[in-house]
Formats: sequence, C-alpha cells, structure tokens
Amino acid sequence: MRKAIFAGLCLLSVFLRPAVVATSAEKVVLNRGDGTRARAIHRIPLYAEAEAGEKREKITAETSPALPFSMRGTCSECHVYEHAYDVIRKGWHFNAAEPNVPAGRPGQPWIHVDAATGTQIPLSYRAWPGTFRPDQVGISPFKFTEMFGRHMPGGGPGEMDTTEDAEITRQMVSGKAEINCLSCHDADAAHDQAEYAANVEKQNFRWAATASAAFAAVTGSAEKMEETFDYRMPDTVTNPELIPQVPTVTYRVNTFDHKDNVFFDVSSGVSADRCYFCHSDINVQEHGTQRWQADEDVHMTSGMTCVDCHREGLEHNTIRGYEGENNGSVLAARSTCRGCHLGDESGRPEGGRLGAPVPEHKGIPAVHFERLSCTACHSGPWPESEADRCKTSQAHELGTHGSNKAPNALPHIQYPVFAKATGEVSKITPNKLIWPAFWGTLSKDEKVQPVDLATVTKVVGAALKGITVPRTGDWAPLKEEQIAQALKALGGEAEQKPVYVTGGVLYRLGDDGKVLPPQKHPAAAAYMWPIAHNVRPAAQSLGVGKCIVCHSTDSAFFFGNVAADSPVSTLTAGGMKQYEFQGASHSRTWAFAWSFVFRPWFKVVAIGSVAIIGIVLLLYGLRALGAVARVLAEQE
Amino acid sequence: MFETVSILAFLATFAIIAVHWIATPTGGSRNVIQGSVHVLSLLLIEQKSSLLGAVKKLVYLLAVLSFLVLAITGFYPVLVKGKHISGFGMMIHATFAPVFALCMAFLAITWAGANRFTAEDCPWMSRVLRRVTRLQVAVDDRPCRCSLALYKAAFWLLLFLSLPLILSIVISMFHLLGTPWQHATLAMHRWVGMVFVIVAIIHTYLAIRLRMANAI
Repeated sequence: MRKAIFAGLCLLSVFLRPAVVATSAEKVVLNRGDGTRARAIHRIPLYAEAEAGEKREKITAETSPALPFSMRGTCSECHVYEHAYDVIRKGWHFNAAEPNVPAGRPGQPWIHVDAATGTQIPLSYRAWPGTFRPDQVGISPFKFTEMFGRHMPGGGPGEMDTTEDAEITRQMVSGKAEINCLSCHDADAAHDQAEYAANVEKQNFRWAATASAAFAAVTGSAEKMEETFDYRMPDTVTNPELIPQVPTVTYRVNTFDHKDNVFFDVSSGVSADRCYFCHSDINVQEHGTQRWQADEDVHMTSGMTCVDCHREGLEHNTIRGYEGENNGSVLAARSTCRGCHLGDESGRPEGGRLGAPVPEHKGIPAVHFERLSCTACHSGPWPESEADRCKTSQAHELGTHGSNKAPNALPHIQYPVFAKATGEVSKITPNKLIWPAFWGTLSKDEKVQPVDLATVTKVVGAALKGITVPRTGDWAPLKEEQIAQALKALGGEAEQKPVYVTGGVLYRLGDDGKVLPPQKHPAAAAYMWPIAHNVRPAAQSLGVGKCIVCHSTDSAFFFGNVAADSPVSTLTAGGMKQYEFQGASHSRTWAFAWSFVFRPWFKVVAIGSVAIIGIVLLLYGLRALGAVARVLAEQE
Repeated sequence: MFETVSILAFLATFAIIAVHWIATPTGGSRNVIQGSVHVLSLLLIEQKSSLLGAVKKLVYLLAVLSFLVLAITGFYPVLVKGKHISGFGMMIHATFAPVFALCMAFLAITWAGANRFTAEDCPWMSRVLRRVTRLQVAVDDRPCRCSLALYKAAFWLLLFLSLPLILSIVISMFHLLGTPWQHATLAMHRWVGMVFVIVAIIHTYLAIRLRMANAI
C-alpha cells in the first residue's frame, strides 16, 4: 500500500515538475518590473566578458589578475541577456548605427574639428540631412568610438566588429565598448563618467565601464599595448616601458561581500546628473563657461528631472518629446509641451499633467500656435541682434579631464536660430546651427562629397603648414591664397574638382589656378537642429505683454543676424537674417512689422467707431420702441 | 464647413439678384453697357447738391471701396487658397478695416434719419393697424414698396452686424481672451463677415434699383 502511494507520488512529481519549471522560465523571461516603485537593491556577482556560448567567469576578490566586469555579463543574470540586452541595444541611445532605424527629427551631430585644416564637419550615423556618415570621411566604427565614445553610453558603433584590417587586432586588444548601464543608472555619487571618457580615449573600451564605477579604478592604456596583448595575461608584457601602461583594474577594498557579491547602487529613476554629462550646454556669449551665471531649465528648478518627460521602458526607446514623434509609445504624444500643458484629445482632463500649469495665452491670436512651436517663445536664450554662441557636452567634451575651456574653442555652435522645421510639423522652432567647413570634391552634376579625413590631414595639413593654430582652439585664419594652395595639393580628376566648403559658400579653383570668388552651394548650407532647452519661465517668454517684442522693425526674432562662421575672415562679415531661415522675404517681414506702429491707433479708431454706431443704434432703437409703445397704447 | 457655406451663400445671393433683376425690370436702357454707365453715374453723382451731401456720397463710395477690398482680401485666401489670410493681404485688410469702420460710423450718423421706417414704407402695416387698433390710419391702397422697406432694414442690419464684426477682432487684441476664446472670436468674425457681405450686396443692389426708380 505504502509502495503504491510512494509510486503515485513519484509519478505526480514527474508531471508537476515541468509546470513548475515552465513557470520559473516565464518569470525569468518576463524580466519587466512588477509595478513596485521601491528601488530594487542590486547585490550581485560581477562577471567578466565572455564570447558567445562560453561560460562567464565570475570575478571575486581573489580573481587575479583583476578583470574588468562586463555589463552584459553582469546584468544578464536577471535582465536576461539573450532577450533584454538585444532589446535594449535597439533603444534610441544605442541604435544610431542600426540600418533600419527611422532617423526622426534632426538632432545634434557629432562634430569633427581640426583647426589646422579648417575643418568643422557634422557627422552622424542617422540619416539627418546635412550630416555625413562617418564612413564617408573614412572613419570606421572603431575610430568613431575612440573619437566620440567619451560622450556615449556604449553600444552602437562601439560594439560593431571592425572591418578595417589594421583595426582587427587592435579591437582584440581594446575590446568593445559595451552598453554601459551605469552611465545612466548608477545612483552612486562616486560614479565618474569622466573616467569612462578618459578610458575610451585611451582605447580602454573593455575597461571603461569598470573605470566609471565607484568601487573600481583602472590605470594603463590599451592604445599603447602591442597587438599581441592579452588582458587576461598581462604578465606577458615584458617591455619595461610598457609595463606601467598595462590596463589594470583595482577594486576598492571591501567591494566584495561574504558571497563575493557587489553592491550596485543603481536606480531606474535616472538622476539629472547622469544626463547632464552628455547633455549640458552653456551660452558662452552671455556666461562664458561659468554655469553659476546661467539659469537652469524651469522644469528642473520646479523639481522635475529629465526622465519625468524623457521616459522609456525596458526597450530604452527614449521619448524625445517633440510633436509628431513616432516613438511607438502612447506616452510620446502626452510627453510633448502640448501633451503636458494642454492635454491630448483623448478625452482625459486637459493639461496639468505632472502639475504642469495650463497656459491661457491671453491676447495671443491663434495663428501663432499654428506657425510657431511652443519652444519658439519659451526655449533657448533670449534672442539678440546677433545669434549667441554655445558650447555643448558632445561637441566640446564638457566634463572631461583637460577639456578646452576657452569660449571660442571649435566647433562654433550658434543659437537661437529661428527656422522652419522640416517634416510633417512645419513650424518655426529655435535651433542650434553650425556652418560646415570641409574639403571635398565636386562632381559634374554639382554634388559635393567630403574627402576622407586622413587625406585631409596629410595633404591639406602639409599644404597649410605654417598657419598658426590659436591655443584657444579657435579657427586658424585662412586666406584665399592658402585655400588655393590646399586645393591644388588635393588635385583631383577632371570630373571631380577639389573644393573647400566654409561659412555657407564653396571655393573652387579657376583655370588660372587661383581660387574663384566664393559661391553659394547647397552643400555649404548650415546644419541646424531644433532645441527645446533651456525652457524659460512664462514671464520670460517671447511677446510677454508686448507684441512688439517680435513684431517690430528691429526685433531680433525676425531681423537678428546669424553671422557666417569660417576661418576665412572676409566671410564672417556676411551671414543670414533670421527671417531668411523662416522662408520669409525682407519686404513683407519689414512691412508687417512696421504696421504694428499703427496698432494702438487701429484700436482707438475701431472702438470709437463701434461706440458711435452703438449710440446711433441705441438712439433710434429707443425711438422705434417709443413708436411701438404709442401704437400699442393706441395713441395717435 | 465655412468655406462651403460661404460659397453657396454667395452664389445663392447673386443668383437671386440676377433672377430679380431680370424678372422685375426697372425700366430704362436694356443695353448692358448703357445700363452699367447709368448705374455708375447714379452712384457717383449726388442728387442733393450740397457740401454735406457730397461728403456723404464720397464717404459712401469710400465705404464701398473699403468693403470691396476687405471682402476680397478676407475671403479670397480662405475660399480660393484654403489658407488663412496672411502677408500683404493681411496688411491691406488691416489697413482698410479702420477706414471702413470710420465710414460706417459716419454713415450711421448721416443716414440714420433717412432710413427710419415710416408708415409709407409698409402699406400692409397700415391695413393691419386699421384692422387691429382704433387708430385713425388713412387708407393706403398703394402696392407694398418692399424694396424700400428691405433697403432700410438692410441698412440697420449692416449697422447692427458691424458691431460684432469689429469688436470680434478688436477685443482679441487685448490681454483678455485665452486661446479658446480667440478661436471663437475669429470664427465669429468670419461668420458675421459672411452675413455682412451678403447683406451689403443686397443693400447695394436695392440702392441701385431704388435710385433708378428715383425712390431715394
């Protein structure tokens, strides 16, 4: 009897076990939050990187040599790697190099500058019109990561296998720049993204995430190692000059607990500090580089953080927050200015989300909201007669060790430039702008292609040898004779003429070997990208109280100047007016602005006329009423 | 909807006027050119030869000109191009608007007396009053002069409509109305403007007919 019961129980467990196992698998695969707002405490083991299919090596206090931890290997214990990482890498911060990702609204490009060759060229993997793909100028993903990975959270081109023969072994030494979860999610005050940047610049891609962590330090440089270097066997380096340069990890004492786990102070509520490392900017015209003189965005001073608006889920498809954004998330439409402040048309209570004040916009004709974006009046610096200049984290390496603090350091970014946006929502928005400067070739059908940067550095650099590059990092002044010299050095086949694009114009050689007068060309057009920060308070919005802030013949909004930026001094006197960027003509814009002089008189005449007509109507109306009353009273 | 309603209303107005013109001739030349010159001369020459009379006629002509400019600049972009009024069209519209408002005020003062309704305007009213009241009302078997009564009614209606027409724009220029009310006042300006144009066309047509019949 007992044997039968025992056998029955065994059989039962055989049938039950798959169900239990399946449930556990579901819980692991569905690695999303369960809805709690409490922070998940991460006391987890560290794992080193491993090739696909290989077992991950756990890093402990005894691991020698101390290995850099892999974010992919470490986080995937719970955020199941095979699913989560591959989902995360498609997120906005990591998917620039993915071929089928919609580019969306143009954004800030990566800008390569070289004052010695007069180069300031916008680069992007995204198909933003006016930018160039890095491979168009000979920059491989490996090189791109080395140049710009300082202000990237890893992934993207940092994880691409290089196809350049010269870089294959270098990539084995440097490793790949994995997605660094800590770039955003590390809540530890000692997180050092500047260390991440410093290590990326030394080709320490494998070590960079570890270097940024609060509990580890990295010394040495993979760039200096020979191509046979193996990071797991650093003792094989025997050259006494190279030994101090061997990339070495040191974990802080007491990093590992009794189970060899490490405490990661991570949070899904990313603090603004993490975002600010890559997304800061400063108006150097107004404030120099002194941030204490610049007011923060009004949303931040009101107690909000970046991720209150720029949200994302596990997919890391960050909501950028512009109207018409095709994000795939229903929250995207509700995370624009209009979405929070005015509400959507879904039937929910209008506006007021997250405590956002609902604007009344008293006295502003409705046509303004059809022609202008919210940011046109509320964002960026107050427009002046000349566009200001700014520095940004991505363009000027802000926050990194040894960054150039000179206000005039290249690249020169001007703002605000009020221009009509391209795309479905064609409103006037404030933009940042750069004037591209690069050496290229002009085909017979007038198309310009940039020359690869290595050739420019070698050929143009040699032709322009002797020019003085200022220590401030500003342009080295160029004369037309020098441009001619460089163009001749570049040479070019009969169908591909060498040209130099700068300051909105294009230089080419004439038959006499001298440079022809500069001419406008589409390839020389400024590259612009809309901005939304810093948002000014309502009391500092354009037109507050007075229409003539914009509608006057000397208003900066229409008649402000955006100077041409170029190493050629004769070009900098030129530029464009704001109304030209808005697609308007001078005569119409000026006439409309001038008509506002008569607006007070218009009101007086109209109200006076209405008063007279009203009195006449009243008088004769009362007389008519009197006549009716007499008739009804049957008075003769 | 506004575009459709406007186009239909204007077409209907012109159609009715054309039918009325053909069906009820006023006499005079049937030749189109001669008739047009006659009509224009009626508009241009003041029958009452006094300085005030001349000024009144000139103000009237200025009002007609302003009205035409405002109607064209106001409706052409909306009905033909499907866009808001903007650019130079907007500036011309805004320039003639106060001129028209002033003309309306002047005409209100100078023409109000002549446009008061009298018993002679409505013979059928005399018949009603004799039947309903004990008032001593003379028998009036003349045919009803609908045109005159309608002409005077159009005058008063124009004055009445000019108030919301002007105020709907002027009020929006002050820091009083938020965005929903801005939309409402703009819509009011459009719809009232449409009705105003129709009434003005009828008033002008009746003025021509009555002048040709020497009734005014």
